[in-house]
Amino acid sequence: MTDAATRPADAATTAPVLDVRGLSVRFRMRGERYVRAVTDAHFTLEAGQRLALVGESGCGKSVLASALLGLLPENAETAGSALLGDGTDLLAADERTLARTVRGRKVGLVPQSPAAHLTPVRTIRSQLEETVRELLRTPRAAVRKAAEEAAGRASFPADHLDRYPHELSGGLAQRAATALALIGDAPLLLADEPTTGLDRDLVEHTVDELARHTGSSRALLMITHDLAAAERIADRIAVMYAGRIVEICDAEDFFGARGPRHPYARGLLNALPEREFAAIPGMPPELGALPEGCAFAARCGRASEACRVQPPFADLLACHHPVSDRPAADPADPAEALEAEHA
Amino acid sequence: MLEVDAITAGYERHKPVVRGVSLTVRPGESVGLLGPSGCGKSTLARVAALLHRPDAGRVVVDGTAAAGWRHRAPRAQRTAFGVVFQQPRLSADPRLTLSALIAEPLRANGRADEVPEKVRESAARVGLGDELLGRRPHEVSDGQLQRACVARALILEPRWLVCDEMTAMLDASTTAALVRVVEDYRADTGAGLLAVGHDKALLTRWCDRTVHWSELEA
Amino acid sequence: MAEVAEKAVKAEMSEQPAVAWRVRGVRRRSTRTWRLRTSAAITLAVVVAVLLVPPLVQLDEQAVDLASKLQPPSLAHPFGTDDVGRDLLLRCVYGLRVSLLVGVVAAVVATVIGTAVGAAAAAAGGRVDRFVMRLVDLFSSVPHLLLGIFIVAMFRPGVWPVVVSVALTHWLSTARIVRAEVLSLRSRPYVDAAISGGASRWRVTVRHLLPGVLPQAGLAAVLMVPHAIWHESALSFLGLGLPTHQASLGTLVQSARGSLLAGDWWPTLFPGLFIIVPTLAIAGLAGAWRERLNPRRRSELML
Repeated sequence: MTDAATRPADAATTAPVLDVRGLSVRFRMRGERYVRAVTDAHFTLEAGQRLALVGESGCGKSVLASALLGLLPENAETAGSALLGDGTDLLAADERTLARTVRGRKVGLVPQSPAAHLTPVRTIRSQLEETVRELLRTPRAAVRKAAEEAAGRASFPADHLDRYPHELSGGLAQRAATALALIGDAPLLLADEPTTGLDRDLVEHTVDELARHTGSSRALLMITHDLAAAERIADRIAVMYAGRIVEICDAEDFFGARGPRHPYARGLLNALPEREFAAIPGMPPELGALPEGCAFAARCGRASEACRVQPPFADLLACHHPVSDRPAADPADPAEALEAEHA
Repeated sequence: MLEVDAITAGYERHKPVVRGVSLTVRPGESVGLLGPSGCGKSTLARVAALLHRPDAGRVVVDGTAAAGWRHRAPRAQRTAFGVVFQQPRLSADPRLTLSALIAEPLRANGRADEVPEKVRESAARVGLGDELLGRRPHEVSDGQLQRACVARALILEPRWLVCDEMTAMLDASTTAALVRVVEDYRADTGAGLLAVGHDKALLTRWCDRTVHWSELEA
Repeated sequence: MAEVAEKAVKAEMSEQPAVAWRVRGVRRRSTRTWRLRTSAAITLAVVVAVLLVPPLVQLDEQAVDLASKLQPPSLAHPFGTDDVGRDLLLRCVYGLRVSLLVGVVAAVVATVIGTAVGAAAAAAGGRVDRFVMRLVDLFSSVPHLLLGIFIVAMFRPGVWPVVVSVALTHWLSTARIVRAEVLSLRSRPYVDAAISGGASRWRVTVRHLLPGVLPQAGLAAVLMVPHAIWHESALSFLGLGLPTHQASLGTLVQSARGSLLAGDWWPTLFPGLFIIVPTLAIAGLAGAWRERLNPRRRSELML
């Protein structure tokens, strides 16, 4: 298992594509109130890795994506750092740097609704050519060819290049948007709910293509509420609850026999129709009025006195009473429980 | 019995998206209608709920043929259906609080005196607390808003439920919770269900039987 | 064990230091509030002046004082005097009063007519909609200043014919905006849900559609006030609006044309400014309103 919080010292030579440390976002509301949308997120992404960030709507996962793209609204405040491989801090960079050197070039965005992401009044070809010109500074004569190549990389059929977005099916629009995201050859691909509203075949097709594009040279961060899509694409799953990443887990373990260790992640998995189809009781807390301690405690069957204190995010898990295959020796002592599992 | 008989429907002339489709839901039965996006299954659901006038064909609700669609359908026939749509944001009037949203069908039918009691009952059924009921749609999450939309659909105690991709925007836990709500309601009242969607695993788990769109088209 | 504990400690420490929050977008916000405040202050000053000055300073609009005609701006007459010796500042305030009255009343009347026609056309749909909108097109095809002149010419000069003329020529655009907005709202699922819940046509229109377009209609009304002021000024400038002795910004500019050619600039400049500055202030307020309507700004929290 890779560990996000502590990497070996020689990591400096092969810096990860994205290193997020203590990323927090809060929104300033009227009357000095704050809504803490993301709290203290830590994770790293190496080239070739595909991380799926899953959670309920309103858990803060889209805010995290917006923070990484510098697209937060004005009343947002950020803390922590999100370092790209070359040392750019996505949270500290100003708008000019983000627009000129980051978006498209270092971070490619695969949007939520491709049809809305494409300009409706221009053909796919003209949008690809514009992006090629802007990002690659391709000489005029070569633009047309470069745009066609870009379309080819995303398997967008060349005979559809002169169509307008509304003339494309959902799948082709998705490929067109992916082609645009890939042009800058960004080392980090960020997909924000790329499969919402698509039917199952198209979901599988879309995530397979995303996996193909990630290959071994790029890293992919996919934000989704669709666990099936996450299972198909990701090698690691990060579960977010009430603004915090509560567990990061290898996808094989997460969906496999071992299962996730955090009770929330377990509940989410068990809610799938393929499994128990049982909802987690209650609803997530408001991000504007988070309880003291573990935010999941109120809905958690394993909660105890210890859960009044926020569990630290250690060993890729933030829970006082993680679920493990064998009964924990003493649920009040997380270290022992962990040790039992390590043994 | 809900009979949808040889329906042809669309939004532009001579370009029907639904061609000659027939489907029957027996009382108390739940039918899942599977199909790829854009195939016309949502249009069929709207026709079945008397919300879209088809170009040809008829809908028979409990033995009575639909006399009209939208406002032209008799109120008793319209309110026999509870409908839930895919996107809760678009299905909720942004100016109404959640409790006003849930109460709206009662008020529209001149039953304002029953509002406090029924809203409390209906909100409890979907798990919405008092604090959330006072908020407006932009102050709650998609999942919470969809709960309110389900509560609104159930408040008149319809004999038929039409759920068009009800859970497509929701996470697994909220999906399971809302399906539970619908199933509990059906167990209490014996209402029939037409659930439209693209998620095979979900609909096979949820419904008595599922039909695929390709089997329906003549 | 020790390794795990160490990790826990590290995680603790990364949380402990007082979180340094980075704030974004402060500057843009402050220019925006600055603009809003200036606009609001000017509009407020204009309204107060227009409401308070006439009762406090009883001005005989017909009185002339030829001894002090065409005096440049001074302490006694900050805006100078006109060609028959009347104080320009006072006349400007009186003129603004008439213009504002015409502007506001005409804008309100036009908005009410426009909203009613637009909403009715959209709610009825079909043939009624087509007929009404062709009628609107027909009216729009006539230059509306011409139409306004035609209406004014049917009455004796005075404030109310001008109001009627401006109102009757300005509801067309509002009707179009409201109709388009209602049509887009009508296809929303929440209208479907209301129909399925048994709501009548009337109830859907009044409870769900009209409240949805009111902010847009209100914005159109605010934007129409300056437009109506300019229209009144234009009519008066052409001599078709108010009688010449009654101060209005249009008549002031018109009667100052002669002195402008003689090099006396103040009788033209100050009434001109009185047209332009309130216009910009009201437009500034309308701009702030439009930004509030913008859904991207309205949802401050995107989750």
